[in-house]
Amino acid sequence: MSKTRPSAVIATFILCFGFWLLVTLSLSPRDLVLGAVVCLGAALFSARFFIHEESYHMYNPARIFRFLYYFLIVFMGELVKANWDVAKRALSIRVKVNPGIVKVPSELRREYAQALLANSITLTPGTITMDIVEEDEKVFYYVHWIDVSETDREKAGEAIKGRMEKWIRRIWE
Amino acid sequence: MIELIVAAVFFIILGLVLLYRVFAGPTLADRLLAADSIDILITIALILYAMYSGRGMFVDIAIVTALFGFVGTVFGARYLEGKL
Amino acid sequence: MSMGIRVIIDLFLLIGCFFALAGVVGMLRMPDVFCRMQSSTNIATLGLLGILIACFVYSAWKGMEASTMVKLALVGLLVIGTNPVAGHAICKGAYKHGDRPDNPMVCDDYGRDESDED
Repeated sequence: MSKTRPSAVIATFILCFGFWLLVTLSLSPRDLVLGAVVCLGAALFSARFFIHEESYHMYNPARIFRFLYYFLIVFMGELVKANWDVAKRALSIRVKVNPGIVKVPSELRREYAQALLANSITLTPGTITMDIVEEDEKVFYYVHWIDVSETDREKAGEAIKGRMEKWIRRIWE
Repeated sequence: MIELIVAAVFFIILGLVLLYRVFAGPTLADRLLAADSIDILITIALILYAMYSGRGMFVDIAIVTALFGFVGTVFGARYLEGKL
Repeated sequence: MSMGIRVIIDLFLLIGCFFALAGVVGMLRMPDVFCRMQSSTNIATLGLLGILIACFVYSAWKGMEASTMVKLALVGLLVIGTNPVAGHAICKGAYKHGDRPDNPMVCDDYGRDESDED
């Protein structure tokens, strides 16, 4: 566990306070002061778990715009395709599954990028990330896949990650 | 609008059907997973009821339901893993 | 005008109901824990998103308070953010607990690497 850094506390505080403003939707002085106190306490407590790398990396309009584009266009496209595929499998007369666990390599370096890719893979129906391991400078994901059509690692990675890894690298690196 | 409450009842029925998996599921993970899914179905039904009745308060309850379901599921999963 | 909006709302409600039904039927019919887990993701993604979009359009149409609409978006963000964590935790927990499917899997890299370490 790393030490609490002031920049990490400030970044966490900004995020918490934005969340508070969204939930309360009021600008009266009493609410603002109360929110600031609570958010400062939460930020002091949680900053060392929350931010391990550059603190202000995401407070950058270009990155936020790219993230929104990734989430709303690229990711939603993959999501709808995979959802339709799994729904078709579940509702067909004979359930046709071909499950297996494959090991998929990835070239992402930052922790947040790895977490975002793992969550994206899990959130698309049909694939679930089980574990992440680091072996000699490379990161590997163990992915449970409902329909294993490729057992070769590189080709399975192409089929599972699709366009998502390229976009995540553009957001974070 | 009547469709909203019809959809809410539909989701409650789906949750009741899923109770079969909670009671009959062969493994512990099955029960945990079905309970987590029932939680999300109830969240959706609460949102639909909030829209139908026009009271925003139920959306707050839906947020709290979703968050507590998540916490419970993660604790159950930690237990399965043998780390609790 | 109002008829068109109602048709849009009904369309999204139907999409949500269809995917939630597919997820529940899949959870009842799939053969083992891991496949059931794939099916349960259906409910939390397009099932929830379809209903949320319908409710968002409805609340904008009826002119509800802004805080309700913000909270609707918040529910979506929270569930989309927390559901993969729960799924990942259950999947790993089930594997560590010793649950294996009845029919052997096509390939099992995880089990192979685990047994190498022992």
